[in-house]
Amino acid sequence: MSLTVENNAKKQLLWIGMAAILMFFAGLTSAYIVRKPEGNWVEFTLPNYFLVSTIIIVVSSLLLFFVKGRLKVNNSIFSLVFSVLILGILFSFFQFKGWEQLVNQGIYLTGEGSNASGSFLYVLTLAHLAHLFGGLIALIYVTVKSRLNAYTIDNCLALELTSVYWHFLAILWILLFFLLKFF
Amino acid sequence: MTNLLFALVALLTIAALVQLVRVNELLSEITNRDTNAVTDDDNQKNGILSLIIGGGFIVFVIWQMVTWDHLLLPPASSVHGEEIDALMKVSMTLILVMFFLLTPLLFYFAYKYRGREGRTAYFFAHNNKLEVAWTVIPTIVLTALIIYGLRTWDRAMNPDISDATVIEVYSKQFDWTARYSGVDNILGASDYKLVEGRNTLGVDVLDENSADDIVVREVHLPVNKSVLLKFRSRDVIHSAFLPHFRVQMNCVPGLSTQFAFTPNKTTAQMKEEEGDDFEYVLLCNKICGSAHFNMQMKFIVESEEEYNKWISSQKTLENTLTLK
Amino acid sequence: MSDHHKETFITKYIFCQDHKMIAKQFLLTGMFMAIVGMLMSAIFRVQLANPGEYSALYNLLPGGWVSAEGALNPDKYLALVTMHGTILVFWVLTAGLSGTFANFLIPLQIGARDMASGFINMLSYWFFFLATVILISSIYVEGGPASGGWTIYPPLSALPQAIPGSGTGMTLWLLSITFFIVGSLLGSLNYIVTILNLRTKGMSMKRLPLTCWALFVTAILGVLSFPVLLSCGLLLLFDRSFGTSFYLSDIIINGEALHFAGGSPILFEHLFWFLGHPEVYIILLPALGIVSEVIAVNSRKPIFGYKAMVGAILLIAFLSFIVWGHHMFMTGMNPFLGSVFTFTTLLIAIPSAVKVFNWLATLWRANIRFTPAMLFAIGTVSAFITGGLTGLILGDSALDINVHDTYFVVGHFHIVMGLSAIYGMFAGVYHWFPKMYGKMMNKTLGYIHFWATFICAYGVFFPMHFLGLAGLPRRYYTNSSFPMFDGLSDINEIITFFALAGAIVQAIFIFNFVYSIFKGTKASTNPWKSNTLEWTTPIERIHGNWPGDLPVVQRWAYDYSKPGMEEDYVPQTVPLKEGEEDH
Repeated sequence: MSLTVENNAKKQLLWIGMAAILMFFAGLTSAYIVRKPEGNWVEFTLPNYFLVSTIIIVVSSLLLFFVKGRLKVNNSIFSLVFSVLILGILFSFFQFKGWEQLVNQGIYLTGEGSNASGSFLYVLTLAHLAHLFGGLIALIYVTVKSRLNAYTIDNCLALELTSVYWHFLAILWILLFFLLKFF
Repeated sequence: MTNLLFALVALLTIAALVQLVRVNELLSEITNRDTNAVTDDDNQKNGILSLIIGGGFIVFVIWQMVTWDHLLLPPASSVHGEEIDALMKVSMTLILVMFFLLTPLLFYFAYKYRGREGRTAYFFAHNNKLEVAWTVIPTIVLTALIIYGLRTWDRAMNPDISDATVIEVYSKQFDWTARYSGVDNILGASDYKLVEGRNTLGVDVLDENSADDIVVREVHLPVNKSVLLKFRSRDVIHSAFLPHFRVQMNCVPGLSTQFAFTPNKTTAQMKEEEGDDFEYVLLCNKICGSAHFNMQMKFIVESEEEYNKWISSQKTLENTLTLK
Repeated sequence: MSDHHKETFITKYIFCQDHKMIAKQFLLTGMFMAIVGMLMSAIFRVQLANPGEYSALYNLLPGGWVSAEGALNPDKYLALVTMHGTILVFWVLTAGLSGTFANFLIPLQIGARDMASGFINMLSYWFFFLATVILISSIYVEGGPASGGWTIYPPLSALPQAIPGSGTGMTLWLLSITFFIVGSLLGSLNYIVTILNLRTKGMSMKRLPLTCWALFVTAILGVLSFPVLLSCGLLLLFDRSFGTSFYLSDIIINGEALHFAGGSPILFEHLFWFLGHPEVYIILLPALGIVSEVIAVNSRKPIFGYKAMVGAILLIAFLSFIVWGHHMFMTGMNPFLGSVFTFTTLLIAIPSAVKVFNWLATLWRANIRFTPAMLFAIGTVSAFITGGLTGLILGDSALDINVHDTYFVVGHFHIVMGLSAIYGMFAGVYHWFPKMYGKMMNKTLGYIHFWATFICAYGVFFPMHFLGLAGLPRRYYTNSSFPMFDGLSDINEIITFFALAGAIVQAIFIFNFVYSIFKGTKASTNPWKSNTLEWTTPIERIHGNWPGDLPVVQRWAYDYSKPGMEEDYVPQTVPLKEGEEDH
């Protein structure tokens, strides 16, 4: 197949993969939405760290939008991509801090004193982070490649795929955050 | 020894098969034709087989219906159950008519249109009228069936329980216990954390409604009076299945489910009709562990006097659990 | 485009990225698992016919499954039933059916060199293989494999104290199914993208063979539903291994009050059946797609109502997402919700009926060539009629009250899956064997296989309806504990007889299959005189499928016995004649 067809195919593979991941989270969030009104649900304030990580991932996603522009004028994108990677790592760091704060508040995943509200939060955020690690691996790869100036505007499939996936992770996180914060 | 015999038979069968196939191959070499090409003769044979075995299948089905009809559940012994039976009759008739129409047609076509050299099939790619017909007609028939079915369902699920006797049915691995709500017709509260010693159902003895509750291992019901069964489970999902009453409801730990019905045939009546060893029985109908196949409790439907006599002779929880 | 990498044994047969080889890997693994699953059913059928008695077949079981007196342990009976269901539903009828035929047929029927991503395709098999190894190993762990039914409802599946198989065995089951789902999703991704992007010139969606349509829609179903099983299983894993209370609450087991609070097993059921129902259509649709193809080719007639058939596939797929509650009528759900599910379930009967009528119309005035594949295709239609009709009883909530979880259900789903779908799979194997292996399967053995299987299979599963209407629950170790079921022993014996006979008959197929791969007569390029593109490739299977340019499609796939044409078939690559009407 021609390069365009091949690239299109790879992009579609990613889109459908993301649809599958979305359905996975749909299952978890439906469970959450059904469980909450049933009672025996401990309310607590969402640690601020999660707000911080939300902002971080949104910023990282925005940064990715500038990549295409810079590639067009043949500027180095390494610093941009590298920043996204760092922000991604920071996001993960703040997720851990958020969990730490939860534990300090007495909200546990399981065991004595745990409750469904806490369990769901841990499972949802853990699941998201697990998928984010995949994104981080992709980011590491494109960071290295962009350091080596491997990408041009016509030849940057891995970069495009990574960007799409990263945006997906950001949007997914925003949805989860709003669910956990406001529902 | 038997194992050896089996292995030998298997090996010999395989050897026979190999020889059969080899003969086939040799034949093809001699006669210079493709042994696996389907011939008119094959079509003839398989066409006839379609008729015979397809017909045989129909006969087999009828034979089963005739031979095993007496093994099926007797007519329902409850009010809503009779309605369900009526719905079942209608639905079964419908599907049997369709089955006995379509299946023979299929095998008849297989026979009638068996291939022959020189014949041409009829190029018939679509016909909108037909498509519409066999979409619309099933839709109409099914809609009617659905409406009928939903009415029956609604009446089974939402009966009048204003003066139903409330009885709790408690399931655990691997038996059933029943708790009558007593004269106040209110079950005492319960909590699984209260299960201890003789309080096998975790009844809250401090709840004033528990005092008159009665715990039994055999359920008696007065005929023609509605009863509301409330289900709980101690450990895993069980399912209370009372086939003669057309009653079934899952018993889920952490939840409470219920089913109300009115038995309208006494055990005595059923013994007359079905034989002296007939008993109403409660079975478990949701996989629940190794003895899932043997969770039973007897249900007895009797006249109101017999029932009153029986229940007044039972001990209440006030007398069995607390030391008042 | 020629292939330029050197092939070693490893890259040709093991870590291969060629879709045809991957298809065969799925087929062989599926066949192996089918034998395992079938042996399990033979064993538990023997128990049902002769409860508590010893049988030589029990020698196949791991140690400790049989008591000192020679009786099969009741909890191990449940283990066998569970594993039988798991293996047949997922391993054989999903991976073995979709995995084989989607992989094999899609690129060939649309005129592509290979799947969109050979690498992802290869991964999809190896995840499946890993899942298989884990599942088989779970049979031998202490406590045995998962034993809570293939539907693994908690709390039974969450608590080792409830049944031994819910210990390590269940954990391995969950691990295995995780890999299975990932593999299945990777495959589905490829099928969808390949069909959307790699169709050859002239192959519009309207000219796609029905098999491709079915496989395409099935893949979409899989992408949307399997992940929910994953989320369902994840929460179960947390409950079992980390003590959360997603599904568990208020439990006392073995005298011990457990800490779980607030969870609901019904939540599990909703999540499970959200996959569970589309799953049965994931199983059925490819079989029906294969059947449409086989019937058309062997009737020498176009499939009647191509557009309606496509519409029916789409409608069935859409409706399959909104009927899951019919597995849960007796859970105490709000009766109104039950009504909704009854309504949607009975609706699904309509496109199914349309398909049956269209097949009958295809057979009408046909010129039928009885290849073994054609026989199995006709068998599928028969089973679909029989099994589909009993679905109308089960889908009606009021009637379900007395047949839910009885043998009536077991009869129904075996006839639609164990007959319909498996016959579809057999039809596919017999039909595409010449393309897969370049040889012909022996037709006489095929005929014997079909008729014997047909007789035995209906002999096994039709009587089950009567057991169900007599009130006999499923997953019962024996019917001999309740006097009310004493009269059913004869039926159980008959069923077991046909089951064992049917199992033995399958040896004919296995023999035919294996023997023909090595010693079968050489096939010609297009032995069935079929129109679809896969029959235009050379017998020697090559990477890239066509040695030269890709074929160009000029017409739909069903010009059989078209008036005015010389032959009774017109391959899709043949241009329209002057004045000839396109379909």
